[in-house]
Amino acid sequence: MGIADGLGEGFSVALDPTNILYVFIGVLIGTVIGVLPGLGPTATIALLLPLTYELEPVTSVILLAGIYYGSMYGGTITSVLLQLPGEAASVVTTFDGYQMAKQGRAGPALGIAAVGSFIGGTLAVVGLILLAPPLADLAVEFGAQEYVALTAFGILLVTYLGTKHPVKALCMAALGLFLATIGQDAITGTGRFTFDQVELFDGLDFVAVAMGLFGVGEILYNLEKTEKAEQIKSRIKNIWPTRKDFRDSSGAIARGSVLGFFLGVLPGGGGVISSLASYGMEKRRAKDPSRFGKGAIEGVAGPETANNASSTSAFVPLLTLGIPPNVVLALIYGALLINGVQVGPQLIDTNPEIFWGVIASMFIGNLMLLALNIPLVGVFVQLLRVRAGILAAFALLITMVGVFSVNNDVFDMWVVLVFGVLGWLMKKTGFEPGPLVLAFVLGAILETNFRRAMLTSDGQFDTFFTRPLSGTIFGLMALVIVYSTVMGIRRQRSGRPPALYADQLDAAAPHETVPGSESEGTAGVAATDGGNRDGPPPAGGGSTRAEP
Amino acid sequence: MRHASTGAPVLLLVAAGVLAGCGDDADGGGSADFPSDDIRLLVPYAAGGPTDLTTRTVGSCLESELDATVIVENLPGGSGALATTQLVGAEPDGHTLSLVTAGTMVLTPLANEVGYTVEDITPIGVMADVPSVLAVGGDSEFASAEDLVEAAEAAPGTVNVGVPGASTPQGIELQRLADDHDVEVTVVPFDGNAEMTAALLGGNVDAVLINASQDVTGNIDSGDFVPLIASSEERLEWLPDVPTFSELGFDGLTLSGSTFGLAGPAGLPDDVVTTLEDTLQSCLEQDEVREGIGEEYVPEEFAGADELAQILESTQQVYEPILG
Repeated sequence: MGIADGLGEGFSVALDPTNILYVFIGVLIGTVIGVLPGLGPTATIALLLPLTYELEPVTSVILLAGIYYGSMYGGTITSVLLQLPGEAASVVTTFDGYQMAKQGRAGPALGIAAVGSFIGGTLAVVGLILLAPPLADLAVEFGAQEYVALTAFGILLVTYLGTKHPVKALCMAALGLFLATIGQDAITGTGRFTFDQVELFDGLDFVAVAMGLFGVGEILYNLEKTEKAEQIKSRIKNIWPTRKDFRDSSGAIARGSVLGFFLGVLPGGGGVISSLASYGMEKRRAKDPSRFGKGAIEGVAGPETANNASSTSAFVPLLTLGIPPNVVLALIYGALLINGVQVGPQLIDTNPEIFWGVIASMFIGNLMLLALNIPLVGVFVQLLRVRAGILAAFALLITMVGVFSVNNDVFDMWVVLVFGVLGWLMKKTGFEPGPLVLAFVLGAILETNFRRAMLTSDGQFDTFFTRPLSGTIFGLMALVIVYSTVMGIRRQRSGRPPALYADQLDAAAPHETVPGSESEGTAGVAATDGGNRDGPPPAGGGSTRAEP
Repeated sequence: MRHASTGAPVLLLVAAGVLAGCGDDADGGGSADFPSDDIRLLVPYAAGGPTDLTTRTVGSCLESELDATVIVENLPGGSGALATTQLVGAEPDGHTLSLVTAGTMVLTPLANEVGYTVEDITPIGVMADVPSVLAVGGDSEFASAEDLVEAAEAAPGTVNVGVPGASTPQGIELQRLADDHDVEVTVVPFDGNAEMTAALLGGNVDAVLINASQDVTGNIDSGDFVPLIASSEERLEWLPDVPTFSELGFDGLTLSGSTFGLAGPAGLPDDVVTTLEDTLQSCLEQDEVREGIGEEYVPEEFAGADELAQILESTQQVYEPILG
């Protein structure tokens, strides 16, 4: 199917009244939870996942995708007005966005963020259209070896490079890999760690695990914090940026789109990493870097564009390879599996309505967000008055009803509660649930394919390195490990903080000189949107690594 | 309705069903009290697959024929054990029924401690029969079944054949091919038809032994799959040129297809079984039902309670020495 035919079919799906309604609901929910500091897109999608069981597969992805990119818009609002990032990817927007608000330019900051997000999102959709079908054609050739290489690479990027504490992340990834082994062995059919419990034969349900760790864990964690209703004092006027603002931002938006797109495709690269990378890039390119942190509009436009572009391009590996690159996409993968859709290279052929329908809905959703955000900023801000306790009780109810409805199984409700408590403890102790959940999903793919590769190659390990594609990927992995080790040693010698995360935020934060090329290149923070939303970051360039 | 709904509408439906059931009594059927309530029809697999489709098609026919509400409920998990446990624990009055297969009733109890056996159900009849085919890709080096068998005999273990899962009838069939007939292939388990299809099209396995459900017949029609052997006892009507395992000299390899049976708990009264059996038979004669299930999967001759019992029994006898 050509692009024109595909888009034609896509729009006929996306313009179906039901789907228009759901993309609207999606972007609206996304914006709302983006505004609310309590719930991020990961928790929200985890909580709503079972409800999509009632929907057509394409409608459920349209809804969940809408929530994802919608939250990227919503998070901007509180970052600019209150220096309170509603979700992780908007942390960077607080640097210059809040400064602009203090200078009475909150309107243009929000306006340029909305316009940039729209352009970034739309360009990323175009990139998705151009890149996905050829990649899927290539992926049909992928054998077990390639899937082993890709999943191992994904787990490496998400855990080792992508987090505040690589060691803790590795522990979590190991735990996730272990949990993935529960249930029947996919090759021999033997039960593993099932203790003869029928409920465990098929392993732990991914939806229940994710809902517990992200949804319930997040709710419990937020309940511990004292409630305070925020009030917006500053009035927002002149939302439309001036011609000079557009001129200043156009380069940042263009670069942010491209950068965000490519980082989003990488495992662990979406969200906050893309916005950090864009911020670093803009600051380095600027004639006068000292303006950054004092209300430079490029510092808002670039990152906001990049995080939106990345939230769209993250669909590329999912829809072409069946490999989710970050936790949100893992949840959308779960939604497709619940609906009995096989996700893999054949998806574009076997379910063109899903691929093209979702793409077309992204155009519509981005338009809706543009229309929603500019006039309704004031309304959304009022949402901060909702008390967290009410929200939490409501969310918990939806969770328990929802998880039961997937398999009609009470056992899954217990799984949610157990993992909810675990998730809460992990958050308190600085262990991020992201690597665990992603390793849990990828672990099953990794193990089965590893075993299949061993079967078809008569147990020869070199099969992973002699096949051109998997060999290349393993080569890349080796490069990444060597590079990051070298960088780590260099950083230690120069007495810089060891964690990439802090390094990047320091680099991006105001009042510091830009430390050369280090703020780009290696991917920084994980895709765990729930990971670092622990309140507003310090105003200056101080450390944001402080644990709760 | 994709899902067992609950709440007020169901209560109304149940009430209507009860009333309708009373009406039935007045007609004076053989089973005086059946159905006197709504019927739960369990599917041990997730919604959306061929088992679900078949059960829902039959369920909606039973509903109109018996004038009782039939609630189809998907209870996937435990390789069918979750749903089957509920079935065998239910009151044997015909108001709890389930789809059964050789997988859920024979394989799963043999491979795991699930607390039930094939003795714990009352078979009612066969809803559908989905055969398996051994197929290669369109550009395969194997032009015929004989080619493939020769290659496997010449170098045991070099031919890779995908099957839909670890303990599936297809996997066991290939093991029997090696044990009983000395044709040894490497069995590569995948997770369902879609993964196997991708592996075959991508050239990552040499052949697949796959349930010939509608996605597979589509690939056969388009030439992407070339069927070499059929799992059925006789040649398939829609694949007249494809030999069976028996024809090729592999006697007894007729168990890799899937039979979707309808069953209740053990101890179902005879009159209830007869009512359900007759109703199922008349359902399977209706064009609407046949099209819903897929014409080629409805058994040409109706297979009732005895035939289903026999299928399960003979499968049990073959599998027990292998798995027990």
